[in-house]
Amino acid sequence: MKWILFAWKNVMRNKRRSLTAMLITAMGTAAVLIGGGFALFTYESLEEMTARDSGHVVLAAARGFDNDEDVPLQHGLSGAAALAAQYAAQPGVRAVAPRIQFSGLVSNGDKSTVFVGSGVDPAVDFRLRGPQLDFVAGEAPGPSDAVPEVVVGDELAKLMKAKLGASLTLLATTTEGNLNAVDVIVRGIVKTGVPDIDRRLVMTDIRAVQRLLLTDKVGSLAIYLKDTAQTAALAAQVKAAHPELAVRTWRDLAVFYQAVRALYNRIFGILGLIMVVIVAFAMSNTLGMAVVERTREIGTLRAIGTQPGEVVRNFVLEGVAIGTAGAAIGMLAAGLTTLGLIFAGLEMPPPPGRSTGYPLLLSFSAPLYLGATLVVVALAAAAAWFVSRRAAHKPITEALAHV
Amino acid sequence: MNAPTIALAARATTVRLTDLRKRYRVGDEWAEALKGVSLTAAAGEMVALTGPSGSGKSTLLNLAGLIDTQDAGTREIAGVAVDGLDDAALTRLRREQVGFIFQGFNLVPVMNVADNVEYPLLLLGRPPAERRQKVAEMLERTGLAGLGGRLPDGLSGGQRQRVAIARALVKSPSLVIADEPTANLDSHTAQQIVDLLRELSHERGAAVVVATHDERMSAHCDRVLRLADGELVTGELQ
Repeated sequence: MKWILFAWKNVMRNKRRSLTAMLITAMGTAAVLIGGGFALFTYESLEEMTARDSGHVVLAAARGFDNDEDVPLQHGLSGAAALAAQYAAQPGVRAVAPRIQFSGLVSNGDKSTVFVGSGVDPAVDFRLRGPQLDFVAGEAPGPSDAVPEVVVGDELAKLMKAKLGASLTLLATTTEGNLNAVDVIVRGIVKTGVPDIDRRLVMTDIRAVQRLLLTDKVGSLAIYLKDTAQTAALAAQVKAAHPELAVRTWRDLAVFYQAVRALYNRIFGILGLIMVVIVAFAMSNTLGMAVVERTREIGTLRAIGTQPGEVVRNFVLEGVAIGTAGAAIGMLAAGLTTLGLIFAGLEMPPPPGRSTGYPLLLSFSAPLYLGATLVVVALAAAAAWFVSRRAAHKPITEALAHV
Repeated sequence: MNAPTIALAARATTVRLTDLRKRYRVGDEWAEALKGVSLTAAAGEMVALTGPSGSGKSTLLNLAGLIDTQDAGTREIAGVAVDGLDDAALTRLRREQVGFIFQGFNLVPVMNVADNVEYPLLLLGRPPAERRQKVAEMLERTGLAGLGGRLPDGLSGGQRQRVAIARALVKSPSLVIADEPTANLDSHTAQQIVDLLRELSHERGAAVVVATHDERMSAHCDRVLRLADGELVTGELQ
């Protein structure tokens, strides 16, 4: 305890210099925590977005994910209803959603354009996707017993001059390779935030799609869990129970998530590295000056029986004191920024390829805070060790003669 | 190299320096600082080293205090032959057996008086209660009672030197090395410091080797050795 007290007294010996080192350390810590918090928030948002879009675990027939079909649903999944019922009854499963991805032409009688469609269970899918689908007008389609209802992207609606209640015709290739068409009514107009998708999007009841494609198969079954952390366990369970099926998790299918994560990891990794260098320089400079100024004192302490290792330890304690204080200030600043952003309601501009921004928020992560603190303190200790070890081993007579 | 067995060392003959030689490089040439000097000091004895600047006083003091090494000759401190000991063992020996009093006091400025005096005991790993008791006793003996909480900056030169004496003697060392302890003090204070050092070293049985230009200091010593050009010219024979 005495040694820690001496270290703190030495830190306070030159208050301005120590405070500068603490503030630089604090800024470095805060920058890493804020940057890391932003990256974590982005990862969590993308995880949720991806899982809401694809489902946590997705089942398909053996080659269902190969994208090499000659005709639609060539590798479709048969007996999906039984599978869906089996997993829907399992504890921890929120819902099971059958899906068919299909494409073709959509026409309003005057002009036609390409669409990319999703056949979904309207009662399940629109509820699960939540904020991902922003209804500009209308609502989710109902059952397709009469004339099928569709939800279209807002850009496609503009292109087709389609308002709510408008009639459109969907043309698609059937599973037998023939053309088929179905008349649909626009029940809703949505915005996904990705203009390229909004220009092509058509969503409708999966049974209408099966009728259009002349099949009773589905493309995939998406299983939604109550807890994302159970994804791997369920995927393993399904693989074991149904080795004939292809099983993917949301992470396998999340190309955008993986790309963003890889990019952010690199960006914030470099930011962290820069901060590490800045903190190391600040600490080395502060403690290096202290060591030079106190060379004679080091000689005195050595003369009266202090081992070189003990001299170094005293400087390391000073480094740890500065590092800990700086890290604490940095954590406080990052914590207050995290809280402040919740109330500030700031928005990030739309990322490339998107038309909507997203809230500027930071995630709080105890491991991140702890890790950053440990790195900063270790860095301070290492800098102190580095700058003091030579002075501690200097010949005592030379150190005592230092002016 | 193993640590010396300090506890078994006899206190009677505290310092035995034999035929010490030391030279320094000055530019392209070698200057001989000591040319075969021998010195002994017994427990409780106070030996003064006098002589002009450059006569070798400081070099001899540094060798006696184990903070420098000689080119030739042998040293024995508190019954331990120190030549050949590694730095860690020498540091342990200084920690346990040698006290230092510097001309410029060399107190640690961020430590208060009590902490400065306590420091050698802290190094020795003495329990807190024992440290407190010894510090209080030493502050009392050096006339610093009531000043334990003061920082060195708030003390007069004489008080600072008293703190340095207290720090040197609190661990009851076998040997005290004092380098011009009265040089920065007025004559009245210097007299007090000489008296105090003499009294405490006798009381605690410590040999004191003191380098001084101050005749009042040397007048109170048991022996006076005069050095000139790295050789003893009066006092103990080579």
